[in-house]
Amino acid sequence: MPAIRTEELRKTYGAGESEVHAVDGINLSVEKGEFVSIIGPSGSGKTTLLNLLGCLDLPSTGHVFIDSLDTADLSLKELTRLRREKIGFVFQEFNLLPVLGALENIELPLRYLGVHAKEREARAREALHEVGLDNRAKNRPSQLSGGERQRVAIARALVTRPALVLADEPTGELDTANTCKVIELMRKLNDELEQTFAVVTHDPMVATYARRVVSLRDGKVISDEPQEATPVVCD
Amino acid sequence: MWKYILRNMWRRKARTFLTVFGIVVGIFALTVLGGLSARLTQQVKGARSWFTNSISVVPSGGSLFGGGEGSFFDLGTVDKVLAVPGVKDAVPGIGVTINQSSGFSFGAPDLIIGLGLNGANDLLRLLTLSGGRLLQPGDKGKAVLGSVIAQKMGAKVGSTVDLRGVPFEVVGVLQPTLSAPDNFAFVSYEDALAIFLKVNPFFQQQNKITSVIYTTWKTGVDPEALGARIASQVPGVTVITPAKAEQQISQFSLIFNAILFGIAFIALVVGGLSIINTMVMSVSERTREIGLKKAIGAETNSILGEYLLESATIGLVGGLIGTGLGLVAIVLLNHATASKQVTVFAITKAVVIGPIIFATVLGTLAGVFPALRASRLRPVESLKEE
Repeated sequence: MPAIRTEELRKTYGAGESEVHAVDGINLSVEKGEFVSIIGPSGSGKTTLLNLLGCLDLPSTGHVFIDSLDTADLSLKELTRLRREKIGFVFQEFNLLPVLGALENIELPLRYLGVHAKEREARAREALHEVGLDNRAKNRPSQLSGGERQRVAIARALVTRPALVLADEPTGELDTANTCKVIELMRKLNDELEQTFAVVTHDPMVATYARRVVSLRDGKVISDEPQEATPVVCD
Repeated sequence: MWKYILRNMWRRKARTFLTVFGIVVGIFALTVLGGLSARLTQQVKGARSWFTNSISVVPSGGSLFGGGEGSFFDLGTVDKVLAVPGVKDAVPGIGVTINQSSGFSFGAPDLIIGLGLNGANDLLRLLTLSGGRLLQPGDKGKAVLGSVIAQKMGAKVGSTVDLRGVPFEVVGVLQPTLSAPDNFAFVSYEDALAIFLKVNPFFQQQNKITSVIYTTWKTGVDPEALGARIASQVPGVTVITPAKAEQQISQFSLIFNAILFGIAFIALVVGGLSIINTMVMSVSERTREIGLKKAIGAETNSILGEYLLESATIGLVGGLIGTGLGLVAIVLLNHATASKQVTVFAITKAVVIGPIIFATVLGTLAGVFPALRASRLRPVESLKEE
């Protein structure tokens, strides 16, 4: 059973002459435990597609199925709940809350799930350990390096053990060394926890680590190939 | 949650401080004026039983609180009032200030109140003694002192006091009422008139005068109807019946409450707008953060609650500080006037709790618009925000 599937997915902005088809009839199916990289030039609709997959945005037409559930049938409130329970997000700009420490940032999604304080902290510590930042629990984002911030953001996306992790240019603001570490981490989590990853990137190096590469242009899929993923070896 | 709210407020220290300060100023004013109003209400309330258990007949155009043209009338008027059917007793009353200087005084001035003692028993019984006895018909050179006057003069039952150069024997001291009678020295009408004529030689020719006639009614007589009868049968008087007195007293309170509401309204507008402004700025600064929260599953209501709580906290903090400073000011001001036996402000429950609740409610209401704005942000657009 696919973790996520789309059917003739379309997102159109504007109308008439200025109409833009950001996503133009995409049919895509991602199996549970897959690590898919979505690549393409800027303006090809990568981010729009990811936002539609993550139910952050609503399609103009077409369907997104998450665990075979048609999201078109859900209210905004139900979509919020779906995101909370099934999806983890990683953004290019990390989007950590500046007034919260690393551990508190990681706890946030658990808070929205109604997990009580003790369990929240235990699970957040575990996630922090998974991303190798045990000694940074109290630090605010401003006291962390870019790579550390993104690892905290990944821990936040994973702490609820979501079925699906969507990452939008997760290494876009990182140097090579940190990019490697972040990719290594995501691959490790993908292997160990069998979570499904969809990673939007325009960094060809990042794409080589994926097990499947979906290539977009002008809102359409132009190629969709499985590949022998390069083993991640960081210096 | 609290930690988070406070940290968010702390992000823009200067702005939060200025907003809170705005609330503090408004609430400070509200507290101090509230103290003033509470004190005035106490004073008026104390006077109520006196005025609502008698009909006051005053010269035309006068009111409970003095005024009216030709503020005195002939003692003959007392007999005319007595002649009205239904009247039980009518006694002349006259007041003379105790202090020669007639400068500004807060609330009731210190007064020598002279009462015709024949038939004044019903009235005198409205006063409660803490020691000694009430005045009796035939008392001459005897005085019953209000609690504040007694304290000021260091007088006890049996001691002799000097009222405008005339020695009086203190036969009774009244219980504190927190109101006007505390500042009164009750003597016989004849004694008070003698002092009055001594300090106002101009009135010598008229001799027997009175400024008010306190009238009581026979059992079963409607005081309002009796008041109307007095007004129609005795020329040149204004009759203040219990109902009218009640009305004048509440009007008096009403004016002060109106001032209080005015201040509250200004605090509401200024403080409210500044909280709205601050919160709108906070929301737009944190658009991305709000988008992120919604993306990872925050409910609309959770965002709404978070921002309402933040603005309510601004109100509460401003309210606590403002009320605290207001109470300090009240205590200091009361302390400063204590040596003159004057209490200008009262601290009641309402004076303390009222402004704090007011500020918190104000903060919450001011937060509604910004919080709604925050909670309705759409995740995709918010996350794009720089």
